[in-house]
Amino acid sequence: MVCRTNNPAVRRYLRRLLATLLLYAVSLVLAIGIFVHYRPTGVLAYALAVLPAIPLIGMLVVFGFYLAEEKDEFQRSIGVQSMLWGVGGLLAVTTVWGFLESFVHIPHLNPINDFAIFWVFMGISIPVLLARYK
Amino acid sequence: MKNRLRVLRAEREWSQADLAERLEVSRQSVNAIETGKYDPSLPLAFKLARLFGTTIEAIFNDDN
Repeated sequence: MVCRTNNPAVRRYLRRLLATLLLYAVSLVLAIGIFVHYRPTGVLAYALAVLPAIPLIGMLVVFGFYLAEEKDEFQRSIGVQSMLWGVGGLLAVTTVWGFLESFVHIPHLNPINDFAIFWVFMGISIPVLLARYK
Repeated sequence: MKNRLRVLRAEREWSQADLAERLEVSRQSVNAIETGKYDPSLPLAFKLARLFGTTIEAIFNDDN
């Protein structure tokens, strides 16, 4: 992957993000493989089930590091605002979905999708926020 | 907040990118400050004032 930014904080963020994504892929394949072939039980089953969540939580930590290391206060502000959009978007979608589930019985939304919803809203908000300051 | 950044920058024939490099921020940051859409923190305002050899009050105007 070629990174064209001159901002060292962004470069570090992208490197760490890539590492967490790779860890997520590996842990997910590992967990699925072990559950399919060995059907673990007890503590091991719980530990394996949680394993892929750890790198995803790590993505939030990595973003936290970026905010701490970003020296450009305007970019930092965009990062914080985008996180708020991510949280807001996630809450809005899951709340509406929850009521739809309760009253008109649409399919259940697995909370495992929450992370993806959060990042989608966050990702969409960044260019929108930057456009506001042009 | 209104400011005289564009004028001060033009007097020195600096582009937004030139000023951004001197401030160690992005060009987007300079543009956001210059257009009055983003108010810089006190440390960045001091940095700007030092760079242009003037005071914060001479650059920024908080009159509505």
